[in-house]
Amino acid sequence: MDRRAALSLSPAACPLALVLAGLGLTVAQSFGFFLPVPAAGGRFDGYAALLAPHLVASFAFSALVALASVLLSLACGTLIAWRIWQLSPKLKPLALVYKVPLILPHIAVAFIVLIVFSGSGVLASAGHALGLVATPADFPAILFSGNGLGLILAYALKETPFVTLMVLALLARLDPRLVQAARMLGASGTRVFFTIAVPHVRPALEASGIILFLYAFGAYDIPALLSESSPGMLSITVFDLIFQRDLALRPRAMALLVVMFLFAAAFIWAYVRLAARLSSRERKL
Amino acid sequence: MLCRLEGIAKSFDGRPVLSEVSFDVAPGEIVSIVGPSGVGKTTLLTLIAGLATPDAGRIVFDPPPGRHNPVILVFQDWLLFPHISVFDNVAFGLKARGLPRAEVKRRVAGQLDYFGLSDKAHDFPAELSAGQKQRVALARALVVQPALLLLDEPFANLDRNLRLSTAAFIKATQRAFGISLIAVTHDLEEAFAMSDRLGVMLGGRLAQLGSVAEIYHRPASLEVARFLGPVNRIPAALALELGAACPGGEGAEVFARPEGLTLTPDPAGPAEVLEQVFAGHYIVYRVRLRGRELTVYSLSDGLVPGDRARMACHASFTHTEEPS
Repeated sequence: MDRRAALSLSPAACPLALVLAGLGLTVAQSFGFFLPVPAAGGRFDGYAALLAPHLVASFAFSALVALASVLLSLACGTLIAWRIWQLSPKLKPLALVYKVPLILPHIAVAFIVLIVFSGSGVLASAGHALGLVATPADFPAILFSGNGLGLILAYALKETPFVTLMVLALLARLDPRLVQAARMLGASGTRVFFTIAVPHVRPALEASGIILFLYAFGAYDIPALLSESSPGMLSITVFDLIFQRDLALRPRAMALLVVMFLFAAAFIWAYVRLAARLSSRERKL
Repeated sequence: MLCRLEGIAKSFDGRPVLSEVSFDVAPGEIVSIVGPSGVGKTTLLTLIAGLATPDAGRIVFDPPPGRHNPVILVFQDWLLFPHISVFDNVAFGLKARGLPRAEVKRRVAGQLDYFGLSDKAHDFPAELSAGQKQRVALARALVVQPALLLLDEPFANLDRNLRLSTAAFIKATQRAFGISLIAVTHDLEEAFAMSDRLGVMLGGRLAQLGSVAEIYHRPASLEVARFLGPVNRIPAALALELGAACPGGEGAEVFARPEGLTLTPDPAGPAEVLEQVFAGHYIVYRVRLRGRELTVYSLSDGLVPGDRARMACHASFTHTEEPS
């Protein structure tokens, strides 16, 4: 490669170099190299510590929250996009309100969920005002109840408009006559949705699904406000290990980050392979 | 009568596309509507299919179409569902009706067999040729036993050498399934080959509807005649000289298609050959006769520019309406 080609690639290569450098340092520290304070114990102690039951539970909890929030976002986002696509040209501009949560920071969305769904929040107060419960505190717990529902709701609220945006971009290229053809053949709205719309927007669902899953799996902002403490989200655990605990635990924190990275990479690899196998022929369009 | 259109009109953004279109379709009949591009043919089909509503007039079906006798429009580009196989495309309407799986399998297999697609059952639409796609679209439409099948430009995306055989195939299929069919096309030869009746649409109006022979040999207007092919305008005196009947008298004109005129080589003949063009299965001659240029189609290439010939007219017609 000549010098000019190398220079033209540098805008893309610089961020990658930074990421690789950071990843290299993380891997090194997870094995006890380049630590701020020397590590006692073996090279693999950081990884062995990850098998502790609370960390395994935390890992499973994070994956569950990410998966549930992504599935909810994909379902809601696709349905909303489908309804918007079906609107008359006159009404379509009004439907742009769906984008509002997109411009809110994640932490603001977390606060909205907190205000609406907490024990003393809007929903519980409304339940009390309607006479459904004796006191707001009697309202069924939605947040911090150990099942990650608050996190899932917050992620879904924030991620649904993103899915809608991605799906609408593909629906713009859907020939409405395909829907007419299906209708003439006697298809119900549900059949049209699943046979025509969903396969058409599948690339958007795959791309946004991967992005959102990996974000929800590793993000810190929403869990900082809404995460249960046990099991907690992995991002909170990593933060605690790095900033709240003994420096000697740095290899364990770094090992956790490495495992999270490997999990994300394996997730993408498996998904791409599965998607390619399922649709290798129909995509010759 | 299976379907009757009465005074159908449709405008888009204030621009009239269809005006006063009326005709009917009998059970088991093929009616083709021909006309130049942009004349409103596809709009007419979408109205009959119920995909749009006419601004005026009405479309009456007897019996009314429903889930068990639908009206199906096969679009020009077929619009197969791209993400499902040929089998599932054909099975689509049956599954939508909730038929048992075994019944769906049996009927789809029969359909694929009839259309010569059995070996393509598991292929996806993107893997098919244009002709195969059209057959899948027809199979998908016919498997639900429609009362009326509408074909939008069925020959537009086919190779030239496939079109006539496709017209014959559509006609044979229509007979085999016993359905009524309306096709819109601007491919005249194919429309002639497959239609029981032909309608000519010009300027958003149905200018004439009748049997293929009637329309071709007794066009209602000069525009209709010209749309169906070149026409020679011949003054009465010259027509009489050529042996053609001239019911309108001395001041009238008769019309003759190029294939209705014949040339016989004769050094003393009144006609002079101006040009000879080889057009494949016929020769086009441009001829001057009594100061008037005429076009003649002939199977013989025995004349060259400058030759003299005698001319005769074997088939002529007069139109019933004055051109606007």
